[in-house]
Amino acid sequence: MKESYRQTDEIELVKASIDGDRLAFSEIVSRYQKMVARTIKGMLGDSVFSEDIGQEVFIKLYNSLPEFRGEAKLSTYIQKIAINLTLNEIKRRKRFFSMFSQKGNSEMYEFEVADLDSTEKRDAAEVVNKALMNLEPKFRVIVAMRMLQGYSTKETAEILGLPLGTVLSRLSRAQEQLKDILTKL
Amino acid sequence: MKKTELKELMINSLNPDGDNSLIASRLEDEGVSYNFSNDFSEKVTNKLFAAASGITRELEFVKGLNYVFYRIAFTGIAAILILLLSIFLSEGSLSVNSFLGLGNGYDESIFYILAGN
Repeated sequence: MKESYRQTDEIELVKASIDGDRLAFSEIVSRYQKMVARTIKGMLGDSVFSEDIGQEVFIKLYNSLPEFRGEAKLSTYIQKIAINLTLNEIKRRKRFFSMFSQKGNSEMYEFEVADLDSTEKRDAAEVVNKALMNLEPKFRVIVAMRMLQGYSTKETAEILGLPLGTVLSRLSRAQEQLKDILTKL
Repeated sequence: MKKTELKELMINSLNPDGDNSLIASRLEDEGVSYNFSNDFSEKVTNKLFAAASGITRELEFVKGLNYVFYRIAFTGIAAILILLLSIFLSEGSLSVNSFLGLGNGYDESIFYILAGN
């Protein structure tokens, strides 16, 4: 068992994690937690529940590591888990709110704008969060991938398991919807 | 960054051919940053490995219980066999009467036994 995995490549990290090396898995979590946070918080809003889903993502990852064959990048594999769990949570909330509340789409999500050092930054964070939460979930996931993660259209299609044409058409519709939302903000 | 600039950046980030690798970091510089709490990694590993050790403890308990069950079951079966053998040897048969200890006695003798005479 190694004392530090900072320089270790991901395949070795995966193998060590499968063998039950806590430190190796902790390194995987440290490397990818920010990426997962961007996806989940970009799609669900910045709340404590997002962190619970983040934990669920890594727990699911740990349990499915023996099935990871290394054909795709580990980041892609984690991203897929994060997206699936977040979409499930969105569906769950939608069902809950349609049964028990009259709240609108954006009110299903919460955002806690972190303590930022300037009003300008706080405003920027608020504009982005509000815009994202007002988008339809199927567009929100694409926007999160392109805008927050910086993935190319091709990479986005690969992660979402969608044909490139579908991603392109959703991007264009998402852009239209985003324009509308941003004019109101 | 002004609000209008930010909005433009957001809209342009959805251009299909645009290079977005810098947009995420620009947004981060503007305060659009997402992260989990500082002890997130620790929380995840604690949850995972505490659960794993819980499962191991549970498995060990079940194994122990199985072992005890078999020990008791085998001892019980051995005791029953010895009892059957001793009844057979003393009474000469394994009938209900010999189980009740009434093998060779008359019915009336039961009353004597019960009455203590």
